[in-house]
Amino acid sequence: MASASAETASSSSEIATAAASPTTERRGIPAAQFVEDVQTFLSQLDLDVNSALAFLQERLQQYKLVEMKLLAQQRDLQAKIPDIEKCLDIVATLQAKKEGGEALTADFEVSEGIFSRARIEDTDSVCLWLGANVMLEYSCDEATVLLQKNLENAKASLEVLIADLQFLRDQVTITQVTVARVYNWDVHQRRIRQAAAAAANES
Amino acid sequence: MQHEQAEKSDTVVTWEDQQNINKFSKLNNRFHELEDEIKFAKETNDNLEDAGNELILTDEDIVRFQIGEVFAHVPREEVEIRIEEMKEVNSKTLEKLEKEKETVLAQMNELKKILYGKFRDSINLEED
Repeated sequence: MASASAETASSSSEIATAAASPTTERRGIPAAQFVEDVQTFLSQLDLDVNSALAFLQERLQQYKLVEMKLLAQQRDLQAKIPDIEKCLDIVATLQAKKEGGEALTADFEVSEGIFSRARIEDTDSVCLWLGANVMLEYSCDEATVLLQKNLENAKASLEVLIADLQFLRDQVTITQVTVARVYNWDVHQRRIRQAAAAAANES
Repeated sequence: MQHEQAEKSDTVVTWEDQQNINKFSKLNNRFHELEDEIKFAKETNDNLEDAGNELILTDEDIVRFQIGEVFAHVPREEVEIRIEEMKEVNSKTLEKLEKEKETVLAQMNELKKILYGKFRDSINLEED
C-alpha cells in the first residue's frame, strides 16, 4: 500500500508541471493537479477524453479509500478521548477519597449484568492496562500524569488527522471539478464538430 | 457531494475559483459535523436534566453515580453538584458549537454569492 501510493505520488508530480497547487503530497496522499486549461491538460497527459476521465475516476476511488481509512482512525480517536477522560475521573475520585480519609464504595460489574460491591480503602496505586497483555501498577499521581499525556497525544493525533482529512477533501473536490470540466469540454467540442459538419453538409 | 456538476466549458475556472469551491466543500462538511455534534450536546443536556430531576425526587441519601466503569456510592448532594458542573460544561460546549455553526453558515453564504455570481446556474451548491 505504502509503496503503491508512493508510486502514484511520483507519477503525479511528473505530470503536474503546470499545476498551480502549492503542495505535491501530504503523508503519502498525492495532491490533485488543478487544471488551468482542459486542452493543455489532455495533451500533457497524452490521453484522449475517455482515458483521462478513467484516470481521474480511478484517482477518486483511491482518494475514497484513503478517506475511509482516515475516517475510521478519526472515529477510534474520538472514542478513545472520552475513555481516557473517564479513567482520569476515577483516578481523581480515588485520590480525593483517600485525602478525605474515606473508602470508596462502588458497585462493579463482575460479569455482564451481574454486579458486586467493593470497598476501596486507602489506596495509593492503580493498575493501568497498557495493552499487549501487560498491566502495570502506578501510584495515583503517576497514573494521572501518564493518562494526561495519553490524552494530550490523542488530541494532537486527532488534530493532525483532521488536517489530513481536510487536505484529502480538497484533492477530492479538485478532482471532481476536473472530471466535470473535462466532461463538459468534451461535450462542447462535440457540438463544435457537429456544427462544423452540418455547415459543411449544407454548403 | 452536491456541487459543481455542470460548469459550462465557456466559463474559465481559475485556481481562485477552485480554492473557493474547496473552501465551500470543507465548510459544508463541517456544517454537517456541527449539526451532529449539536444534536449530541443537546441530548447530553436533556439526560443531565433528567438525572437532576430524578435526584430531586429520590429519598435516598446515597446514590450510585457512574464514574469510569463502576457505580460509586456518592452522597446525593455531591452528585447534585457534579451534575450541575457537567451541565455547565456541556452548555458552554453547546454555545460554542452554535456560534461556530453561525460563522460557517455566514461563510458559506459569502462563497455562494461569489460562486453563483461567476458561474450562474452552471454550478449547484445546494443540498438535494
